[in-house]
Amino acid sequence: MAEQLMLEKWSAEVATVTIGATKKEGDSRAKVIQVGAQASLPLLFAEGAIPHKPVIAFEIWDTAPLDWPAALNQAYKNELKEPLVWAEKCAKEFKADLLCLKLQGAHPDFGDRSADQEAKLVSQLLKKVDLPLVINGCGDDSKDNQVLPAVCEAAKAERCLIGNAVQDNYKTLAAAVLADGHNIIAESPIDINIAKQLNILISDMGLPLERIVINPTIGALGYGLEYAYSIMERARLAALAGDKTLGCPFICFVGQESWRAKEAKTEIESGIAWEIITAAALIQSGADILVMRHPEAISKIKAYIDRLFGGK
Amino acid sequence: MEKFKIKFFPDNKEIEVEKDKTILAAAISCGVYINSACGGDGVCGKCRVKVKKGKVVSQQNAVLSLEEKRENIHLACLTTVHGDLEVEVPAQSRLDFEKSSLYSQSEEIEAQKALDDEKLEYSPLVKKIYLELCAPSLEDNISDLERLYQGIAAVAKGIEFSFLQTGLANIKQLGELLRDANWKITVTLGYRNGATEIIMVEPGDTSARNFGFCFDIGTTTISGQLLDLNTKKVLGTKASYNKQAAFGSDVITRIIYAQEEEGLEELHKAVIETMDQMIRELIEENKIDLNDVTAVLCAGNTTMMHLLLGIDPTYIRRQPYVPTLNFVPTLRASEAGININPRGLLFCLPGVSSYVGGDTTAGVISSGLNHEKVLSLLIDIGTNGEIVLGSEEFLISCAASAGPAFEGSGVVCGMRASSGAIQKVQIEKADFKVNYSTILGAKPRGICGSGYIDIIAEMLRLEIMDKDGKIKPQKHARFREGENGREFVIAFKNETDSGTDIIINEADIDNLKRAKAAIYSAVSVLARKMNFDFAQIGKFFIAGGFGTYLNVDSAVRIGLLPNVERSRLHFIGNSSLAGARQAFLSYNAIKEAQEIAHKMAYLDLSGENDYMDEYMAALFFPHTDLSRFANLRDTGHGACDCGCG
Repeated sequence: MAEQLMLEKWSAEVATVTIGATKKEGDSRAKVIQVGAQASLPLLFAEGAIPHKPVIAFEIWDTAPLDWPAALNQAYKNELKEPLVWAEKCAKEFKADLLCLKLQGAHPDFGDRSADQEAKLVSQLLKKVDLPLVINGCGDDSKDNQVLPAVCEAAKAERCLIGNAVQDNYKTLAAAVLADGHNIIAESPIDINIAKQLNILISDMGLPLERIVINPTIGALGYGLEYAYSIMERARLAALAGDKTLGCPFICFVGQESWRAKEAKTEIESGIAWEIITAAALIQSGADILVMRHPEAISKIKAYIDRLFGGK
Repeated sequence: MEKFKIKFFPDNKEIEVEKDKTILAAAISCGVYINSACGGDGVCGKCRVKVKKGKVVSQQNAVLSLEEKRENIHLACLTTVHGDLEVEVPAQSRLDFEKSSLYSQSEEIEAQKALDDEKLEYSPLVKKIYLELCAPSLEDNISDLERLYQGIAAVAKGIEFSFLQTGLANIKQLGELLRDANWKITVTLGYRNGATEIIMVEPGDTSARNFGFCFDIGTTTISGQLLDLNTKKVLGTKASYNKQAAFGSDVITRIIYAQEEEGLEELHKAVIETMDQMIRELIEENKIDLNDVTAVLCAGNTTMMHLLLGIDPTYIRRQPYVPTLNFVPTLRASEAGININPRGLLFCLPGVSSYVGGDTTAGVISSGLNHEKVLSLLIDIGTNGEIVLGSEEFLISCAASAGPAFEGSGVVCGMRASSGAIQKVQIEKADFKVNYSTILGAKPRGICGSGYIDIIAEMLRLEIMDKDGKIKPQKHARFREGENGREFVIAFKNETDSGTDIIINEADIDNLKRAKAAIYSAVSVLARKMNFDFAQIGKFFIAGGFGTYLNVDSAVRIGLLPNVERSRLHFIGNSSLAGARQAFLSYNAIKEAQEIAHKMAYLDLSGENDYMDEYMAALFFPHTDLSRFANLRDTGHGACDCGCG
């Protein structure tokens, strides 16, 4: 007799979030990215549909990163100073599916670029490359509240994914995202309750849960990875059991966390390995969008995802 | 050792202390009360004082802002005396005892009603009997004491106590007293641990004057009631903040403080002083002689009972959390330092465990939960919230530390439920007009727990606050930025008693959110642990020091109480005081209290892994699990009968 596996059947599924709008829909992206829609825990294909593969976003910055380790500087060299060239390289040479523009230069301590400058950059970037876009603010609440609404408007109807909304500062961004037809990243500090509360607060403002992506905050290998893993797992279990307020896809800032590890900074190879291992683990815990930095790590993870999904 | 003089304002009290003593210690030793929620650890920031004159040395701390330091504001617990000082204790660092000790007529009416309704048989714990004994003769020559016993036995049929006891002090004076009084005497009999004691013998007939005090000794609030033990009448009620609050706002910080040098003695003195003040005021108002007060009965949590008796509470806090005693034998009140008749008795209602005390037993008696045929739940909302689940078949309890917010402490404009407290609130959608009513209709002086519950429910209903408790600013004079986040004005200064605005701010809302989350999560963990869901619980008794009013619908809206049909929720007021009163007037009730305390099981929430998860999930209005609070009706403000429309 053939071995019978115990199969779990879930009553709900994760919401589908669409990033980017194509020409047909009146805008300019060559393709759209869809994430979410899982009716099963990660990679348990027999238990429920998993229609979308995890997707990788190349992280690019509006200003040259000063403290990136040698491995990253070698991979991009001079492109780091030119965001548009950098973006194009990711799109053409590395065949990126998705870009994540980090507006670090807007931070008062890292250049203090104005809202107008950032809005202009986003417009130019949208013209230069036709990939869907994730846009991430600088993390300074009051500056983000100036910059992100301008950016939202500059990218109006391009259906970008824009973050980060946090519990103490979500209203301005949620209102801008709602008005200009984007999706929002809701960031919580490795805390399932705050993730849930923030989703409720944002949806109370009129932005449907289908336009929210959870940033659960992660730690890299050796820096809290297991903790992030179990929070994501708990959230996903709740979502599949019917809790809609946690049924949003996850975005994980893998590159940012991995390259902060002391080990990643010392040896080129170990940095790449750190990013690969962190990303691979988070795929197992249900990550939908992985924001990554090193092209080699990205290509390895892409190949890994293809193998996991076996051509599905 | 050098000594310096410190003068405190506005108290105008002066004391001489040794160099290097803290300002807080100096204040305590001269009876100036400064808030100190953390018990002097320098972390809570409640003990800010302004040094107007003189030299001090302050330890580094992260609590004070630069501006405050520039203004010579210091933390009293971290600041030592290095010269003669003048110290101003600002209003927010003080506990206002005067204003809180007000007579609340409405509470009394309720108490009287409850007394008349009582099912328990009337047999007070202390009785006075007037006797006219036959003088002895050569034929009738039994001893004086035997003669007294026979006299008592002849009339005291109602007394169920099996043996009589008398102390030597009474016996020594008996011979002369009986003859001087011409054998006409009044005997005071008290129930004492299963026996009956002749507490005292007085000449003549004083049997009409037999009074007692019952107290609910809460961590934050102490309520006391003067009873006429003959007529079952409540003669007066007082409530006041527990003066122990100067040593920490919850039981744990008090226990820690008790371990300090003279800490236990100071805590003991603070509670006795609070009670003494109420006793004195009430007997003066009712023109009663202290000697006619024959007994005191107290209900309180286990730590409060230890401190009342001056017993070291250290082991309550240490694993395996065992108190020195749960069943307090009947003692003489004077042994605990309480001033009534020197031979008067002190009764304490029995407790269950380290964190479920006699106040809970009292709550069960007054709610009648132990006689319910249907599964019922008692929720006593206080600083230490207690929950009892059960019926006539079983009882199980748990405790949750909620903090004092619902008792009006730790919130900017909070006060207890007494005259002038805003207790019902309705906010109009169109122009944010706030309609409120106050206790006794007095000019508003602050907001009490039920007022806060209404305010939060209304702010949620009108969506002027998000579910996380952040106020959404509107272009309106009632919305403004304050020191502790945004504020909403409930009453403008031209309406209020003190002439300052009464407001609620985001820090207050946060405190109230934590308090309600602690209570709600304890209720849901206890029910789940026993494998019941709320649908199976027939009656919910809601108790707490809310005065006579609590809008249960508002309490559900903010997620304090479970979302069940409102007809199943019964607000029963201060159940601890009510139970204490019943026990005082009925020997059966005190026997029942003992049975309840024996029978009740205790669930230690600190050993429940899912309590913390539940608590975190409840830190939201009403709850992060929205399905538990689905279909909240938009009733407007249906339950309000204050004439506000």
